[in-house]
Amino acid sequence: MMSPNEWLTQTRRDFLATSSCGLGTLALASLLKQDGLLADGGLSAGMNPLDARLSHYAPKAERCIFIFLEGGPSQMDLFDPKPLLNEYDGKPLPDSLVGDQKFAFLQKETATVMGTKRVFKKHGQCGMEISDLLPQIASCADDIALIRSMHTTQFNHLPGQLMLNCGAPLLGRPSVGSWVTYGLGNATQELPSYVVMVSKGRGLPGGSSTWSSGFLPSSYGGVMFRNGASPVLNLANPEGITTEMQAASLGAINDFNRLRHRHIGDPEIASRINSYELAFRMQSAAPELVDISGESASTLEAYGVNRAEPPIKSNLGGIGNYQVFSRHCLQARRMVERGVRFVNIIHASWDHHSNLDPQLAHNCGMVDQPVAALLKDLKQRGLLDTTLVVWGSEFGRTALGENRVGGKAVTGRDHHPGAFSLWMAGGGVKGGQVYGESDDFAWKVARDPVSIHDFHATILHLFGMDHTKLTYRFQGRDFRLTDVHGAVVKGLLA
Amino acid sequence: MLVVASGQAVEKVDFNREVRPILAGKCYACHGPDDDKREAGLRLDVREAAVAEAIVPGNPAASEVWQRIISQDPDDVMPPPSSPKQLTSAERATLKRWIEQGAEYQEHWAFLPIKRESPPRVKKVEGLRNPIDAFIRARLEQEGLSPAAEAGRASLMRRVTLDLIGLPPAPEEVAAFVKDQRPDGYERLVDQLLISPHFGERWGRHWLDMARYADSNGFLGDGVRPNAWKFRDWVIAAINDDLPFDEFTIQQLAGDLLPEQSIAALTATGFHRNAALNTEAGSDKEESRFQYLADRVNTTGRVWMGLTVGCAQCHTHKYDPITIRDYYSLYAFFNNTVDRDEPKTKAPALGEVKEERRETYVHLAGDYARPGPPVMPASLSALPPMKIAAETEATRLDLAQWLVSPEHPLTSRVAVNQVWSRLFGTGLVSTPDDFGVSGESPSHPELLDWLAAELMRQGWSRKALIRLIVTSATYRQSSAHRADLVEVDPLNRLLARQNRLRLDAEVLRDSALRTSGLLTRSIGGPSIRPPLPGDIFDVGRSVKWEVSEGAERYRRGMYILTMRSVLYPMLTTFDAPDATDACVRRERSNTPLQALTLMNDPVFVEAAQALAVRVVKEVPERGTVRVKRLFELCLARQPLVDELAEAKRFYREQMARVKAGREASLLVLGERLDEVPSEQRAEAATYVALARVLMNLDEFINRE
Repeated sequence: MMSPNEWLTQTRRDFLATSSCGLGTLALASLLKQDGLLADGGLSAGMNPLDARLSHYAPKAERCIFIFLEGGPSQMDLFDPKPLLNEYDGKPLPDSLVGDQKFAFLQKETATVMGTKRVFKKHGQCGMEISDLLPQIASCADDIALIRSMHTTQFNHLPGQLMLNCGAPLLGRPSVGSWVTYGLGNATQELPSYVVMVSKGRGLPGGSSTWSSGFLPSSYGGVMFRNGASPVLNLANPEGITTEMQAASLGAINDFNRLRHRHIGDPEIASRINSYELAFRMQSAAPELVDISGESASTLEAYGVNRAEPPIKSNLGGIGNYQVFSRHCLQARRMVERGVRFVNIIHASWDHHSNLDPQLAHNCGMVDQPVAALLKDLKQRGLLDTTLVVWGSEFGRTALGENRVGGKAVTGRDHHPGAFSLWMAGGGVKGGQVYGESDDFAWKVARDPVSIHDFHATILHLFGMDHTKLTYRFQGRDFRLTDVHGAVVKGLLA
Repeated sequence: MLVVASGQAVEKVDFNREVRPILAGKCYACHGPDDDKREAGLRLDVREAAVAEAIVPGNPAASEVWQRIISQDPDDVMPPPSSPKQLTSAERATLKRWIEQGAEYQEHWAFLPIKRESPPRVKKVEGLRNPIDAFIRARLEQEGLSPAAEAGRASLMRRVTLDLIGLPPAPEEVAAFVKDQRPDGYERLVDQLLISPHFGERWGRHWLDMARYADSNGFLGDGVRPNAWKFRDWVIAAINDDLPFDEFTIQQLAGDLLPEQSIAALTATGFHRNAALNTEAGSDKEESRFQYLADRVNTTGRVWMGLTVGCAQCHTHKYDPITIRDYYSLYAFFNNTVDRDEPKTKAPALGEVKEERRETYVHLAGDYARPGPPVMPASLSALPPMKIAAETEATRLDLAQWLVSPEHPLTSRVAVNQVWSRLFGTGLVSTPDDFGVSGESPSHPELLDWLAAELMRQGWSRKALIRLIVTSATYRQSSAHRADLVEVDPLNRLLARQNRLRLDAEVLRDSALRTSGLLTRSIGGPSIRPPLPGDIFDVGRSVKWEVSEGAERYRRGMYILTMRSVLYPMLTTFDAPDATDACVRRERSNTPLQALTLMNDPVFVEAAQALAVRVVKEVPERGTVRVKRLFELCLARQPLVDELAEAKRFYREQMARVKAGREASLLVLGERLDEVPSEQRAEAATYVALARVLMNLDEFINRE
């Protein structure tokens, strides 16, 4: 019996030799009167939506690992040192700052500044100040472009998350990963182009809308990779079905489909045959991808795949995620090595309205080592130059301690959209720099503001795409990831 | 756009079809209806203004517009070099020709009154079955094309059954139809299907797409709406009863305002309770309310008028004559509407506030917190006026009645286009949610109007309209690929054949369940939860997914609980909508994940197991007879010679494998193992393999 791969090659050859599917291509050619990349908002009938495509101009980034830490990590405890915080501890914020800012829970009449226990030191040749909670990430400072002047329009979780991940505070919009896949197609034939991995304590507010294809065709949506035995839903053969039987069945399905194609000639049948071949390949490629047994002991150790987790009584971000998160980071590297275009690593939650100190420390302990290991590993393999790594969340937190109605002691901070931090590395980003500045209380942006739209425009730019030209016609309008806003942040580019 | 045979250079340029799309797409954003964004005071959407400023009819050289288009100076050239919307050379040529020919404008077709013209004369009348065919044939004759032959009996039966009730026919039904020699045998079949209670399910699901129906709030928490299904059941019943589309409209938009209150009409107003609602603690209540109401305005505009009114939420529409004032005049109809449940059934419904009514304002830049000038409820200014008694404030009931008034140029056109698109895969207008200036023009404008008029003449009967369409020769054509059409009509807009369409997600599930005999046919009631792995569901923060027991889990796909934050993967993989916006047209993608789903998802595996056992039990004879039965069940036809040979080859190969694998190979029968006598188990296990293959065939996944 032929091996699955031999069989695929053989059937493919037979098919191309005997079928008249060239007609489909002809039809396609007469349809593709495009003036540019996907101009006029969409793909034409007959075109495989995941075929790899050229970008508008030469890309710097070929793939992206987007680490989304849901909930709003506190920027002044991690990335944006504010010496005045401890000085003002227990005192109200200067009136000029509070203004008409809206809050989710905080009572602004009585709220006072909350100091921080964190110690900031300068790191790398660039001297980037990062908190003592992230020592390992700090050791990558020279590769990181840290933005301290992010701002968003949303102060509630899901609208904020949709804004960050999908460019609008509304359900039904495509995520960044979907836009990138739509723009560039798939670089691998054996794996999904856009993969999502989730670890969580409290659950992700938007669920799968976080990686939704929105109004784009569903083939551009993220595919969730799971933590268990079957990395993709329905990837594993059902009980009682052996690989041999699966291969034979697939062969028969495609044989029958070829016969049908011969009788009625619909080129869609050729696409169907192709989809089944890809599915079969994915059945072996995806388990190979998540099988990290071949990684060296030093790699496993660097990512902390088998490390112990310090005890904590309770944590919004969950307990028992240390090894899972490490594994996600390592798998992300394996994915981009194999041509996956966009990887989301998602962890929920960092929403520290209370018990900020212990829970933030616990979460940081979870992410610090593997994220740093990922950056170093990509760099060492020569992949960082072409792989964009992003760390971010939907907003930051307030300098004011949260005094919500009914709350007991003030031990946390409320949501804050006015100024927060986010970082990028690799993929054409100029590392070793702090971009922008917030005011003395990380309240408002003081210099070089970066909106979510600017951030998205920059990501697309790094991928070689003009954010004003990557459009999709929906409800009579050419939609963009950046709506009608956004400008590429030139200062972030290498 | 239609791809028409080339070489007609001197033909008169058609403004609506050729020029307006260019002006709308490339110029109106700065030189269109929006006063605020207009550059240099120039507007090109109104002839008077354009001719006064920048166009000299008949003389491109003297026209500023043309000079700017061909200018080499980056400061002068239009569109400006910074614009992503540049003109192609073909578009320039069209504009030049149009100016040469006098720069005549036409009013946008969709805002003009509906004209019922007699069906056109055609040269070849053979094969015409009703007026629809004359419209289609006339156009084909213009292009020198001939229609396809009628589809084979069995294929036609499978098509019309799937289209009308969303289930495949049973082999016995197919056999009876194939044998039926009566001249009206097909019409009788159609009439049978139209009175099937499953008709309401199939066409109800289409409407639920547009109603953005879901069983949860969406957003953080994504709380379950335990009574949302009552609206779903109302839709099914209304469609089964053929509630005329005008009544259907009025009850959903204003059932609470009808003089005679009824549970049904109140339940119907659940239409506008379906919108997603942000209940996140700490969210701004006023902002959430604004978004919730804006969704009602936008959805009403899309679903009934095919207009992108949402574009006017922040600024006057860039292409269509819809001002921001118009937008908030529509908003005003909903601004004193409250959520209230029908008291007896607890069905979600609407109600109207009587006291302390809110004033409505234009919201500047679409910002809920920036009220501008006050507005009263009113219809869109570019459409025929609403008839209301003087001195009274128009209500939602007036709005609903205005939408279905015979003078309204959009509602009936949009409705027939919707129905048409479900039966051919594409509407006569291929942008069913955009009948505005930037949407596509109809492929057969006279037919669209004729059908719209006919819908109203038939008392807005949905069933009469569907019957008319599916009994046309146009619908009954074969869908087989035609090499001669590839170049001239690659998108098959001229309909010289039927389209071959991938089944909708729910229909695919239902087909597998029906074919295998697992399907539970009960209609309506609370939504169900088929098995779903815990980690898939737990991603969100909603309630637990408690798996439905027994026969419940084999109910039709439309009854699966729709949680906005965790959509049921099988349905999403096959392009079911996410219920965030009214979905008027589903994608029909073709992906490896679909293959994995059909091969490995438990529902489809169980269906293959049940089908195998069914065939082995029903057909005592081994070999060819059994294989043929399997084909009949899955594809409503007999295998061809080469297919039979392939099936037998695969059978022999699998039988050998099963025998070699002994007990372990029988695991493939799953829970059915015990139902099969031990001497038949090897045969049944082999048939699982064959059944699984047939239920994965492209033909099974498509309606031909």
